[in-house]
Amino acid sequence: MSGRALAAGTSLVGGAEARTSRSLPLLFGSIAAVGAVLALVPLWVGSSRVLMGVAVLGLAFACYAIGFNLIFGSTGQLFLCVGALAGVGGYGAALLADRVGMPIVAALAVATLGASLVGGLLSWVAVRRSLGVIFAGIVTLIFALSFENLVLGASTITGGDAGIQVSAGSGTFLRQRTAAYYVMLGLVVAFLVVHGLLRRSHVGWAFRALRDDEVAAELAGVDVARYRVYAALVGSAMLGLAGGMYALIAGRVSPTTYGFAQVDVVVIVMLAFGGIGTLFGPVLGAVVFTFLDELLIDLGQLRLLAYGALVIVLFLWIRRGVIPTLAGLVSRRPGTRPGPPPGGEEPG
Amino acid sequence: MLEVEGVSAGYQGSDVVRDVSFRVDEGETVIIIGSNGAGKTTLFRAVCGLLPLSAGRVTFLGEDITGMPVQRVVRRGLAFVPAERHLFPHMTVEENLALGAYPDRPDPEIRNTVLELFPRLAERLRQLAGTMSGGEQQMLAVGRALMSHPRLLVLDEPTTGLAPIVARSAYTALGRLRDRGLTILVAEQQVPLALAVSDRGYVLENGAIGLTGTSPELASDPRVRSAYLGVI
Amino acid sequence: MTASILDGIVLGLQFGVLAAGLTLVYGLGGVLNLAYGQIAVVSGLVTLLTMEAGLPAVPAALLGLVTGGVLGLVLDMTILQPVYRRSGEARVLLSLLLTLGAAFVIDGYLNWRYPLKGLNLRISGEPLVIFGVRMRMGSVVASIITLVVIGVLYWLFRYTRLGRAVRSVIQDEEGSRLVGIDPQVMMRLILVLSGVLAGVVAITRSMVAPVNVRAGFSLTVLGLIVTVVGGLGSISGAFLAGLVLGIINSVASSYIGTFLSLIILLVAAAVTIVIRPAGLLGVRE
Repeated sequence: MSGRALAAGTSLVGGAEARTSRSLPLLFGSIAAVGAVLALVPLWVGSSRVLMGVAVLGLAFACYAIGFNLIFGSTGQLFLCVGALAGVGGYGAALLADRVGMPIVAALAVATLGASLVGGLLSWVAVRRSLGVIFAGIVTLIFALSFENLVLGASTITGGDAGIQVSAGSGTFLRQRTAAYYVMLGLVVAFLVVHGLLRRSHVGWAFRALRDDEVAAELAGVDVARYRVYAALVGSAMLGLAGGMYALIAGRVSPTTYGFAQVDVVVIVMLAFGGIGTLFGPVLGAVVFTFLDELLIDLGQLRLLAYGALVIVLFLWIRRGVIPTLAGLVSRRPGTRPGPPPGGEEPG
Repeated sequence: MLEVEGVSAGYQGSDVVRDVSFRVDEGETVIIIGSNGAGKTTLFRAVCGLLPLSAGRVTFLGEDITGMPVQRVVRRGLAFVPAERHLFPHMTVEENLALGAYPDRPDPEIRNTVLELFPRLAERLRQLAGTMSGGEQQMLAVGRALMSHPRLLVLDEPTTGLAPIVARSAYTALGRLRDRGLTILVAEQQVPLALAVSDRGYVLENGAIGLTGTSPELASDPRVRSAYLGVI
Repeated sequence: MTASILDGIVLGLQFGVLAAGLTLVYGLGGVLNLAYGQIAVVSGLVTLLTMEAGLPAVPAALLGLVTGGVLGLVLDMTILQPVYRRSGEARVLLSLLLTLGAAFVIDGYLNWRYPLKGLNLRISGEPLVIFGVRMRMGSVVASIITLVVIGVLYWLFRYTRLGRAVRSVIQDEEGSRLVGIDPQVMMRLILVLSGVLAGVVAITRSMVAPVNVRAGFSLTVLGLIVTVVGGLGSISGAFLAGLVLGIINSVASSYIGTFLSLIILLVAAAVTIVIRPAGLLGVRE
């Protein structure tokens, strides 16, 4: 169930980590570059309230995708509750700030912690019971559906179907289009830094080891269970924080803000496109997808058809995602891709 | 009946058996002997269609079956019993036997013949295959193979995991089948038993055929005796 | 209380058929078909459209079932082919993702072309009184049809050569090839069967409550949960789990609200999976 399957699944998931370690300045530099490019967006669409809203949502999804990437891409845990965990952060922060009266920062922190703990718990249960990928997926899916129903059902607290207005944060910079965009961008950059640093650390090494061959990793002394839960804790914290921040920025939350169909499905497609397991894959996927979605908005429901076709094409042909595929094409250094043995022909 | 010419096969690009040729004529009982790792299982799996060939040709009853998948090969009169048997554990003896005749209905005559040959099976028709002992499972595996009324019966190490007494009775049964005119091909590590029941044999060593000859010839060959019969 | 239990049984039987289609495909080929709910919806839609065009109910329903079967066949011949080239967990994952894509394609098209359609078969007749409870004719007929289907499935797998062949592939694929069975052919047949079962779900469900075009994903998720609780690959497990979960859902609904009872159902399912991943009657590998 575990090791070889995970390795077999890895070819599907595209976590090719044959690259040599990047130096720190290169890491920060590339993140800064991405951040700088994204920072230019308000110059382009800043005047349109609607488009800025779309841009902010796009960045929120980039955050979600990074979090999911950390959990699924790094340690192979199929968490089908991305939206729900973001919802714990979102509804949590909103309710704590509005009903309980906590200051915004504290509410956000507590909600993030809550999401992190829930994610960690789910991971811990799956690990303890040695649940395979599919079962873990179903258990997390059940959590996602339960959360959605809980929110719908406890309508006195959560506003049910209609959702609630988030008064916390109104009147602050969070509600100003451009400022809100940069706050969200800040989160994206921060998450990228965290993920980037993790990958270069011993934690990242452990992740790669357990993803390639779980049994071998265990034998090499990697406590697979512990690293899985770590990844879940950090990734879920990211989801909760992003979800909470979005709630404060958007000013209202409802079940569809964090629903399975609205969030999880989209995040999976984004990540599949960008490249599961890579650093910038989630961001690329989110940007392209948000752009595409906006472009096709007139098609209404037909968009779903387009995305379905895209998913099929993605997983049939460009299996590892855009970034690994591009990296494979571009990289010519011997040793970074399976090619002729050393001493063989120079790949040029 | 069966002609194997220049067959090579293996796993993940590297061949375990190389350029192997042998034949089995109608009515004969032929054995392939060799120690562990010699390549007997790989060879049989390749010949019967469970493993792709990297080179060579297999002809059965005049038809070229090279590369044909096993589910089609067995419909042409060949029945293969691998070492792991692959019975259906949650089905009864009766059901396992019935499936042996697939896609036809089980022929009552053949069924009776099989049960005569293996009375233990007759006693346990309703027992689940997964709950039977090793020897009984082997009987059932051979019985299932016989239900298709094959022209050629191929057995890969039928005595795997069997106690000596049981192994001997297995070969007694094989002897009876041979007397009825069935053509049999067996791969075996337990050489003395196999030599006693067969007409001809081939010795497989490190993926290639070393010696060949009639069974009496092989039994008295000093190389065979020292390597496989434990005679100094 | 009796009323809820009877309702639960009606619901549970449908859960069972829903899960049976999914579990068969998984048990035989190690493939999870996430487009299952959409196949059910399309069957229902075809039934509806042909009825609107004037066809009487029974032929329309049969046509719906045929459509389901055809969709299953198409799925097998197209996107499942690359899936079969992999094995183990990689196969399940790929099947999950590709069928999810297919589900999007179908769902997107249906919702765009027929956004407000829903199949609702009204069965005429006075309510029957069973165990002191008035049961609507629709529920009764739906249950009878489901029971007949269960009977047919049982007979098929227990007593026919074909059914035995299918079971043999599930129990030992290499063994089945050794007796001349082609697992790919069996898989294709089962996929057609599962499509027909999806159609049965849509049609019987529509006798109790409307089945609208958006129901695809909820049907699939529900089926998946019942399947896993019953044990992947076990048909009897699917029906047992279906009944248990159906009754739990129904009884809980009548005493607590809909949402809370759904949560209880979900949690019960999760607990079962965690405690016993093989499911209630799972076929152990």
